[in-house]
Amino acid sequence: MKLLFDRIDEPGLNTLPVYEARGGYESLRKALAMPPEAVLNELEASGLRGRGGAGFAMGKKVSFLPKGAMDKYLVCNADESEPGTFKDRELMQKSPHMLIEGLIIASYAAGANRSFIYIRGEYVLQADMLDAALHEAREQGYVGENILASGHSLSLVVHRGAGAYICGEETGLLDSLEGKRGNPRLKPPFPANQGLYQGPTLINNVETLATVPTIMRMGGDQYAKLGVETSTGTKLVSVSGHVQRPGNYEIELGIPSREIIYGLAGGPPEGREVKCWFPGGSSSPVLTADELDVPYDFNSLAEVRSMLGSGAIIVVDDSTPILDVALKVAKFYRHESCGKCTPCREGTNWTVKMLERIDSGEATPMDLEIMASVQEHIMGNCLCVLGDAMAMPISSMIVKFREEFEAHMQAAQARARADLGVADAALTAADALSAEGAAAHA
Amino acid sequence: MPRPQARTITFTIDGLEVQAPENAMLVDAAKHGDVEIPVFCYEPKLGQPVGACRMCLVEIEGIPKLQTGCSTPVKDGMVVHTQSERVKEAQNAVVEFLLINHPLDCPVCDKGGECPLQDITFGWGKGTSRFIEPKRHFVKPLELSPTIAIDRERCILCYRCVRFSQEISEDYQLVLQERGAHSYVSTFDGHPYVAPFSGNIVELCPVGALTSRAYRFRARPWDIEDSGSVCTLCPAQCNVTLTVRDERVMRVLARQHPEVDDGWLCDRGRFAYPRLGGDERVSEPLLRDGGELRPVSWERALEEAAAGLKRAGARTGALVGGQATNEEGFLLARLMREGLDSPHIDSRVAGTLPLELQRELGDPSLQAHVSDLEFAHAVLLLDTEPIEDAAILDLRLRKGVRRHGMKLVRASSEELLNKQAAGELVKTLKAAGEEIVVLWHERLTAGPKGAEAARALLDLATTLSLAGAENSGLLEIPAQSNGRGLREAGVLPNASPGLGAPADTGNAAEGLDALGIADALIKGELSAVYLLGVDPLEDSSSLPVWSRSHSPWEQQRPLWEQALERASTVVAHATFLTEGIREHANVVLPAGAYAEKEGTIVHPDGRIQRLRPAVARLGSTRAEWQVLAELAERIGLDLEVRNGMAASQQLFDAVPFYAGLTLEEIGGKGIRWAQRETAAGVASS
Repeated sequence: MKLLFDRIDEPGLNTLPVYEARGGYESLRKALAMPPEAVLNELEASGLRGRGGAGFAMGKKVSFLPKGAMDKYLVCNADESEPGTFKDRELMQKSPHMLIEGLIIASYAAGANRSFIYIRGEYVLQADMLDAALHEAREQGYVGENILASGHSLSLVVHRGAGAYICGEETGLLDSLEGKRGNPRLKPPFPANQGLYQGPTLINNVETLATVPTIMRMGGDQYAKLGVETSTGTKLVSVSGHVQRPGNYEIELGIPSREIIYGLAGGPPEGREVKCWFPGGSSSPVLTADELDVPYDFNSLAEVRSMLGSGAIIVVDDSTPILDVALKVAKFYRHESCGKCTPCREGTNWTVKMLERIDSGEATPMDLEIMASVQEHIMGNCLCVLGDAMAMPISSMIVKFREEFEAHMQAAQARARADLGVADAALTAADALSAEGAAAHA
Repeated sequence: MPRPQARTITFTIDGLEVQAPENAMLVDAAKHGDVEIPVFCYEPKLGQPVGACRMCLVEIEGIPKLQTGCSTPVKDGMVVHTQSERVKEAQNAVVEFLLINHPLDCPVCDKGGECPLQDITFGWGKGTSRFIEPKRHFVKPLELSPTIAIDRERCILCYRCVRFSQEISEDYQLVLQERGAHSYVSTFDGHPYVAPFSGNIVELCPVGALTSRAYRFRARPWDIEDSGSVCTLCPAQCNVTLTVRDERVMRVLARQHPEVDDGWLCDRGRFAYPRLGGDERVSEPLLRDGGELRPVSWERALEEAAAGLKRAGARTGALVGGQATNEEGFLLARLMREGLDSPHIDSRVAGTLPLELQRELGDPSLQAHVSDLEFAHAVLLLDTEPIEDAAILDLRLRKGVRRHGMKLVRASSEELLNKQAAGELVKTLKAAGEEIVVLWHERLTAGPKGAEAARALLDLATTLSLAGAENSGLLEIPAQSNGRGLREAGVLPNASPGLGAPADTGNAAEGLDALGIADALIKGELSAVYLLGVDPLEDSSSLPVWSRSHSPWEQQRPLWEQALERASTVVAHATFLTEGIREHANVVLPAGAYAEKEGTIVHPDGRIQRLRPAVARLGSTRAEWQVLAELAERIGLDLEVRNGMAASQQLFDAVPFYAGLTLEEIGGKGIRWAQRETAAGVASS
């Protein structure tokens, strides 16, 4: 079932004439003919959950904004910086008007008159295309004063980020947008009450907003029939890693994960097996091959202690040591930690150092315990969720691949000893062999 | 605007029912139940909490995650746990994280012994670390500024200094560079952090990362004693704690007073102390002998001084500098009026103002509080630049603008005297709201148009209905630190103590003002002059830079050179051997710096504050009251002052609106006489 990606590769879809020819901006006209409350009702009825990572009900989020006349803001989070996620990129590049239309409808429902699309700096092409589409929309009167004589006005600015993961965190994004260093803010106050320039602010992901025209076209109730009860509609998933056909796929929520990884993406290369997979970006706890049949929706993934996140599936096959995966993930979050709060700043750094010691053969058996406990100490204790974003996957890897970690540790120690020319080299080499054997067995 | 008022609520912390003001942050509310929640980044003076250090995590029933106590407002019925296993584990974890990169060089760290990181590690840490990796390293210590050293290895990145620079002093110089575990505090371009209030970050730092270069390695906390006093270097009169080791001031810290300084100090107040005990001080009596000043005994110096003054008798003039206490000024005025029968004594540099105007401007119902600067709807700066005239008020005004949306308006007395401009001014002020404070400088009353400007200011106060209004009033910054106190003590040519008529002193004649004294000396009408804490050739040490060029004394330097040259006797009661004294004084009597003094001074808003001796007097200097009493005795007047407290008592008895005041009542926080029952004394006197 394709809604967002319906004929996505149609040439010229990024331009207004083509988009309008297939019914573009009809949803906007329909929405503007309704009172804002009715639009909000449709959004709530659709059961649409945020596609950026947290999965919060979109309609509810809109309803949190205080009512009454004041400067309200709508910010589209197009920072898409979660490793493995590249769905918004394709969407913005191929169908920018869908996002703009959704954004206008959402601003109408929320009563916001100023809006921004915060797009990551690396998306140069996409930002240019958004700018071009925005220009067309402005010319056509979809953006600006008194849109289609409805009385609703909206200013829209495409703002390019400067390359920090933390600016995808909603409050860090707001600080960055205000021209400050992009550090997350303390919550509460939540952006709905005090966000951009201290004003009430609605922040939504690209995919979430791009879904809005579809909901208006189908009607919230119809949309809610798609997917499963707690996860309605369709979702774009970005599949990457060890699969034969990596890319973006639109799926109906609730289908078995195996169908995505093996069915759509073709599974791992010939002769390899899935070792583990991240169901929702690099910050989601990893799942194993045994968990491939979990339905791909918000609640089912939460039940197996992981999350749907941004919908980025990263597949790791059995040719990759788990330590390399852990180190890659930890290094990323160490690099991206903003440094504002203690557990994240120090915990990510410490974790990387411990993983590196395991790899270089300098680890002690205690280190796995310490590493697991450090993850515990990070989780839930940080200012924002960046710390958790490292602690959750690392923690899950230690639980699920403990034996492999231990084997890796022993093998590395043996190698280190051998390199040093320790007298009982023969013995240690034997150790190493048996350890590697154990690892392979595991 | 209305000041925050909270109702009292009851909440439970660690099984204890505690009453606390509603919406106080949990870490503050907990103190009402004697529960301490450890913090690093939280500092209410810095504004909104940031929740960065995560040290204050507590468990609140009904909320699944641990919450930061620094940012959670307490609500009625809240149940909080700070001692549960979960909380303890989180606290241990944060301490362990913080110590990962901390060098633990406490034995050689200035902060050791008075360090929150030490205390919290001891109280809430596990005592062990599982971290065995190399710590991060920086070149250290580096000069962050000429006065501050930064040791980035010790830094726990709590953000306090950066927030101070960005949100309090608003100099926007300090930033965090890099990110994550590489973060460090710096100026953006690596240039020195030079700003008027930079020293506050040393006191804010909860570890030994920011240290005072002047204090580095001078003392350990167990070597020192703290002594509370008041800084007299400018009219702001910030409350300070002097760190004393071996009878020397080693450091000046803020002694938080919400009605005076709000807990901050300017760099001058904080770093000027080495001069107080320095080599330039006069430490023994000096006598001019063969054209040069030579040390002599007290006996000899007092004899010579008394002989000179006696010879001149009523032809003596006296000037009193701004750092003199009320008691010093009061006793000298008695000596002049009663002992020498001379009314020629002055403490105003701006020239004399008619007595009625002085009384009206000092009307208790018109006096604004310092905190009104923060809560008023608008503040008018009249003829003043607070950063130069009373630095600490600058921070208060910034706070008012930033946090309460106060409107700041600037004007000069020129505008006040111009009908049209004054009308515009009133309109602008009234547009901001009803509560208005006029912060004005004494220079408004200087010059030929002084009295006219003072009258216009009083008219403005009437137009704006400031008298008795909430968060409103006039606040004068005197040209000299204790300008207000000296006036109230009667150190004026046209007033007796308490701004009474000159007749009350027994000598009905009005004396000459400062300028008149100079003139009379040149003309030979006066032959002697007594300089108490003042050198007319130097600008007064209490005059900040900006006003220097406007100082009448500066413009009148040639006049004073002539006057001192002509005077047959110049007695200088001085702390420093400045040019005029070195060149012209016949007798120099050494005086103390503020750290050595006892007595009272009066804050611009009428708060009587107490100086307490923190260190022993330098060399053979004697208390000023003692010197004045001994001098009076030699002239034939018994001042009946046997100790410093007696001097204060005489002053309190002589000033009607100080009646019944005691040093105990003034205490460590001072007292605004306008709030005492005797305040009416000013009108009737």
